[in-house]
Amino acid sequence: MTTLRHVATPHPAATAGLGPRAAAGEPVAAVLAAALHLPGVDALPADLPGARAATVEEPACPPERAADLLGRKGLLAKEPATRLALCAVHRALGLPAKAPRRTGPADPRTAVVVSSNLGNVATVGDIARRLRDGGPREVGPLEAPNASSNVIAGAVAIWFRFGGPNLTVCSGATAGLDAIWLAGLLLRIGRADRVVVVGTEPDDAQARALHAARRGRADRRPLRAGAACLLLGPVDGPGEPLGLLGPVRAVGADGASPAAPGSADDTVPGSVDGDVPGSVDGDVPGSVDGAVPGSVDGVPPAAPRLVDDAVLPGDHYGAAGVVHTAVALRLLAGTPAVRVRCGDPADGFRELTVTGAAR
Amino acid sequence: MPATITASAVRTCFGDGPATWAALLRGDCGVAPLERATAEQVGVGSGYPIADGGPFRPSRWLADCVREALAAAGVDPRRQRVVSLVGTGLRESAEVERAALAGVVDFPAERLHFGGAVAAAAPGVERVVTLANACSAGGHALALAQDLVETGDADAVLVGGTDGSTASMLAMIGRVASRPTERVRPFDADRAGVLLGDGAAVLVVERERGDGGLARLLATGLSCDAGHETAPDPEGILRAVRDAHERAGRRPDQIDLVLAHGTGTALNDATEAHVLAEVFAGCAPGPLVTAVKGAVGHTSGGSALLSVAVAVEALRTGQVPPIAGLARPAPEAAGLRLVRGEAVRADPRVAQVDAFGFGGLNAVTLLEAVR
Repeated sequence: MTTLRHVATPHPAATAGLGPRAAAGEPVAAVLAAALHLPGVDALPADLPGARAATVEEPACPPERAADLLGRKGLLAKEPATRLALCAVHRALGLPAKAPRRTGPADPRTAVVVSSNLGNVATVGDIARRLRDGGPREVGPLEAPNASSNVIAGAVAIWFRFGGPNLTVCSGATAGLDAIWLAGLLLRIGRADRVVVVGTEPDDAQARALHAARRGRADRRPLRAGAACLLLGPVDGPGEPLGLLGPVRAVGADGASPAAPGSADDTVPGSVDGDVPGSVDGDVPGSVDGAVPGSVDGVPPAAPRLVDDAVLPGDHYGAAGVVHTAVALRLLAGTPAVRVRCGDPADGFRELTVTGAAR
Repeated sequence: MPATITASAVRTCFGDGPATWAALLRGDCGVAPLERATAEQVGVGSGYPIADGGPFRPSRWLADCVREALAAAGVDPRRQRVVSLVGTGLRESAEVERAALAGVVDFPAERLHFGGAVAAAAPGVERVVTLANACSAGGHALALAQDLVETGDADAVLVGGTDGSTASMLAMIGRVASRPTERVRPFDADRAGVLLGDGAAVLVVERERGDGGLARLLATGLSCDAGHETAPDPEGILRAVRDAHERAGRRPDQIDLVLAHGTGTALNDATEAHVLAEVFAGCAPGPLVTAVKGAVGHTSGGSALLSVAVAVEALRTGQVPPIAGLARPAPEAAGLRLVRGEAVRADPRVAQVDAFGFGGLNAVTLLEAVR
């Protein structure tokens, strides 16, 4: 899908010179570039009220055709979630299709933070079945990286030569905004000058079975494969960013009160029987039409538009927070600020506010 | 204001923290036949298991450590801003394997990460984030924990590391070993490879407080090799070491003790030995070097914090345990002051803890005694 690399919507919320200690509500990171890579979702901007109009869309290739974008070399043993992540980063970097891969020393000042819960579960399950059926000779040492849950972030670092801190967040439904939270920390503390945040999930049978077994599953949205990438820099860095990211807040289901994870029971509050995936009809909590849930209870009446699970068809799960933030950046042309949310009743919820940037 | 470690709790094949420390000082080796898999099934028949059964074992060990560490630190998440970062290599992937073999998922998928386990053991914790950062996961979590405390974003951070062996990872270490491994022998000329250990560790990180805590957390340096998925790269490791030293404001000649990563594989130990030789070149006599994996196995995501917990005990007591399984140092490690045979009294003041993982992930921590 599309890469966003520039926006000039002025907004007074922009803050320069932020020190390591972030004041409440002040931006913690600048978005230098953003890309969505959501196979099968090609008409996103036209469906979103207020979305930027001048965006050029290109279809997002599915993981099995990642070579169309990335080139063939090195893809053989890469799992679908890794391929989607590589595609999203490739687009965020603004690279042409099949651009030669960077060589030379790794860039020690660029960090990678990946959010994904189910990226390697198919491989883990497949190895277990082959061991049962044929013993240890049925598996090969080249599969070793995929048996470790950090394989995606390692692959992104190796592919693009990013030598800074490298994190994989797999905290469930909040993972995407947890990743942005930690990326902001890396920037504020000076561990990196730039952070590549990537959310990615596959939709293989093993992943779908696990996703469907979630206690916090609040509706019938199926797991959907896709990835998004944000290139983040410090708030007071050079250049003109696409937008600024506020602090990531732990919030309750109503978007206001803090809530600890793991407190949901089996009766999922707020589930919407019969809900149509991707519906934006205003009856769905968190739809993008301006009906902000919780607006009576703790959220000011003029609260910014909300981007959450209802925006897209299907559930991007561990990638959702990054996907939603990338979507929110598209809305900044029509509104000065956008709230982004991800989470579920079992894992809790996270929110941040995206604002336009002024330097 | 510097951060401090105010409590630690561990679980290993030897038991809890005191039992593990006593076993390390004796030079014990916890290797045993695996109860959950055989060599015929996965290619590896030995490890350093915790003798308990049932599913979700890493979550249980972690939760036990969280409760113990919170009580020891006197931290109450309902009254303070407490967050938790949990490092892991494999998460609860053993349950994914079980589900794949059964053809049905009989557990809520939230239990693949550790949010629920920590929240139940630490009521009131603000947020729990699981980091899958391979064998240096705990070191990465510790780095971020210090950042959160020093920026004032949290009053205290529960830093955890936990892992149990999975069939898929056992099969991988079996396939990459040069010959069947009977026990882990870090830096030994006859080392044959790594074996997995069960284990968890939790540290409480807070701002430095009046009683000094257990040890001062000086800094953790992070880097990614960005070169190879499994083979270590000395340049990447050196960047993490130098990052740690710079952040801590300490020179190599001020470091008295190194808790090496020391996996007992031919390539990893040789690479780490070369890096240590380079970093401490010109330091006379150089730091003592010890490692724990010969005693407790490679506890993956738990291993970095387990080494930190051992370093904390060494700084507190002055005792340095030997490297279990080390009989004849490998030539590339011969220049290091490897502790072997029996524990030594050394009264170290500054300790370095190495942790390296798949994907070229490096975390190097510096700690200082508060005695």
